[in-house]
Amino acid sequence: MRNLGFVELAVLVMVGLNVLMVLLTAGVKATRTARLAWYRRHIKRIEPALEDYIITGEDPSELQALPPWKRDLFVSRLIAERIVLLRGSGREHLMRLAELLGLVDCYLTGLSSRRRFRRARAAEYLGYFGGERIVQPLGDLLADPDETVRAVAARALARIGTPQAAEFLAKTLNDPSELTRLRMAENLDRIGPPAIEPLLDIIKYGESRARVLAARILGNLRAAEARPTLQQAMLDGLLTDLRAQATLALGKIGDPDDVDELLVATEDEVWPVRAQAANALGMIGDILTIPTLQRLMTDREWWVRLNASRALANMGPVGERALVEILEGTDHFARRRAVATLEAGGITRRVGGELNAPDTKGERARHTVHAIIRAGATKQLRRLARTMPEGEDRRILQEMLEEAGEP
Amino acid sequence: MSLSDLILAVNYAVLGYFLLLNGVYIVLYAISFAEISEYARREVFGGLSELFTSNYAPPVSVIVPAYNEEATIAESVRSFLALRYPLHEVIVVDDGSTDGTLEVLVREFELHESDQPIRKQLETAEIFAIHTSPSERLIVVEKANGGKADALNAGICVARYPFVCCIDADIILEEDALLRVARPMIESSEVAAVGGIVRVANGCEVDSGRVVEVRTPKQAIPVFQIVEYLRAFLAARTGWSVLNCLLIISGAFGMFRRQDLIASGGYARDTVGEDMELVTRMHRTLAEAGRKYKITFVPDPVAWTEVPATLRVLRRQRDRWHRGLIDTLLRHRKMLLNPRCGPVGLLAMPYYFLFELVGPVVELLGYVAFVVGLLLGVLNLEFAVAFFLAAVCLGALLSISAVFLEELRLRRYPRWSDLLKLTAYGILENFGYRQLNTVWRVLAIVSFLRKNTDWGTMERKGFEKRKPQVPHARRHRPNKMKGGT
Repeated sequence: MRNLGFVELAVLVMVGLNVLMVLLTAGVKATRTARLAWYRRHIKRIEPALEDYIITGEDPSELQALPPWKRDLFVSRLIAERIVLLRGSGREHLMRLAELLGLVDCYLTGLSSRRRFRRARAAEYLGYFGGERIVQPLGDLLADPDETVRAVAARALARIGTPQAAEFLAKTLNDPSELTRLRMAENLDRIGPPAIEPLLDIIKYGESRARVLAARILGNLRAAEARPTLQQAMLDGLLTDLRAQATLALGKIGDPDDVDELLVATEDEVWPVRAQAANALGMIGDILTIPTLQRLMTDREWWVRLNASRALANMGPVGERALVEILEGTDHFARRRAVATLEAGGITRRVGGELNAPDTKGERARHTVHAIIRAGATKQLRRLARTMPEGEDRRILQEMLEEAGEP
Repeated sequence: MSLSDLILAVNYAVLGYFLLLNGVYIVLYAISFAEISEYARREVFGGLSELFTSNYAPPVSVIVPAYNEEATIAESVRSFLALRYPLHEVIVVDDGSTDGTLEVLVREFELHESDQPIRKQLETAEIFAIHTSPSERLIVVEKANGGKADALNAGICVARYPFVCCIDADIILEEDALLRVARPMIESSEVAAVGGIVRVANGCEVDSGRVVEVRTPKQAIPVFQIVEYLRAFLAARTGWSVLNCLLIISGAFGMFRRQDLIASGGYARDTVGEDMELVTRMHRTLAEAGRKYKITFVPDPVAWTEVPATLRVLRRQRDRWHRGLIDTLLRHRKMLLNPRCGPVGLLAMPYYFLFELVGPVVELLGYVAFVVGLLLGVLNLEFAVAFFLAAVCLGALLSISAVFLEELRLRRYPRWSDLLKLTAYGILENFGYRQLNTVWRVLAIVSFLRKNTDWGTMERKGFEKRKPQVPHARRHRPNKMKGGT
């Protein structure tokens, strides 16, 4: 075998690599354990000085004496952890301390680092203690090529939460990454009222994706001042998604003055808008809209019927009666939906327990059960009869089923 | 050419084949190492907590096929409903169970019959009814028995949300697994499917449908499989994913963009490897449609599964997996070296044909030639020992590297003893376990040629509960409910 030397060498290399890999594995674990202990030891030493400073706001000399790497590694983290929990003077002291220790300047420099994780880390910390002066550099970071950096910058801006920060976030609602858009939306949601103005601008002048998201955020913010803009978007918008989101947003805002516009939206040619209009009417809960919701129960699209039935179920006894009326109607799909809604909302079970009640209560319960039987939903009633407790109500229900030819 | 020459030639050929295979592995490891390092660093700034509470994350439909799961279905569904995700629905597809699976669900979750229309976009056995919970977060599909793939297709038809996550009923998902696995799809609309890592639950402590303490089991066979899973998921799948060549997303846990899944035709109902077949078909469909797409793997979202603890069950599982692989590769043989299929056609398919399909045969041939060569005196003892050691050492190196990768970046096994055990088993598996697998896979080829389409039964002992309980037979999955990792 001429290759014997080579094979032996290969074996040696292989054995060596195996040993090395085992040592590396054990080494990694050992190093991590040691590092964690080392980290905890340092944190334990620094913590008391930091706590003192939070209370007194005086003499950070002990902290200032720390070398820059220790400030970066330990103090920044301790400040960030505490700043989210504090308000008032404690928070101000920490912001000042970050400035005094040069952390803000250090991380501002870090924002332009060539290493993306360094940029991300700098943005993260600046969001905690950078203050308003770093809004502009963080806003610039929203155009960073790296998604992680953009996400961290957005989060940092949301923590600062000024109108200028909101303006930056709103402008990036059209980011190519769906995750980034989602994060921007989430952070604008977090900023709250200062975000409303920039979002209104986006609805008026933004690009399609951004406009849809802006309408959604305004709804989640329950922004009453956005109503006229949302109404306009709902009725005149060319984009289906925008019209649907604006409709839903008006529902979330819940102003009864919007009912007329929402009634118009129930006749929209596309079903997502009609479905959201039903949803919105349910959120507002105006009983005058019941006939419209009953009409939507006969819509050809299931989602519209679903939302309309839910809206009726949420309107209390009047809504329930409207659902029972549907049971007596001629539309098969509407009847099936009404039966499902009554059962899902526990209404069927409740009326089953009221069959023996005196006066109108019992009468109404029996009327509802009759309507359900006539709607052909005896399967649900049979199941109810099997599972409800022994007693007069159960007996009546069984009798009613027998009368209807159901065992 | 004399017999001796032939034996010698075979030995050299096998050695060359073997070196080439390990070369491919080393490249995959290098890619995986870089990718997992990147993933772990990005996780530091992931901001998952903000997404958990977000109103804006796209909703997900979790599809759980179930057949005769009466004993455990309620607990499983509760744990799936409790997953941390802004908005998700759980769709349990009762695939014609003959026990009380449906009754348990109706009773425990106060289900009522729904009028929800079914968009029959995929072929399935007859669907009798749809039941929903009052919150409408749980949907139960009552249908005729048709097998796992059929049940999944029914679930996909019923799903209301744009992302669907297909999981096994007996899997344990970590609380944030859904969000982690959904993230690549949220990040880019090009991502059509995402696979998540499946880990071995044997030996771990489980409480209320959650793994509360990660440990290695006492039995040897599951420990060998932990090392195997680490190698397959962390090293191989991560590497293939970077190259956009991932041909398999575990049937136990994978997320798909619903529209792409439907466009590809859903799960094939006539194969024993429906998970691999689906992903391969998705590659083919999307590539042929000229779509810019990605099918990816995320090394961290964790699903825990119980693996076979006996050789008998393990053999059946491996037999089925290999038959599934052969079936998939043959069905999609036109993708082989087809430039239209991109890197899948040019890299993954040749690899799978050359090393995964034929590999066991070549390896077995190598062992035979090796022994015959020794007996005939063609190979001298030193060469033989060196050859064997090189083979063993390289195999061990790959396994230990996977354990190293796990410890370096993911760190799921906190105990020193577990880490050392995994390392030791990474070496030991090369003495018998690996050869046994090779033989089983060769037998699977024979079985495939005999047109065996049997699923085999997967017996499970049940997870280790935090409080000591009387162990019970958790699963006896019959042939009709087919599945695998």
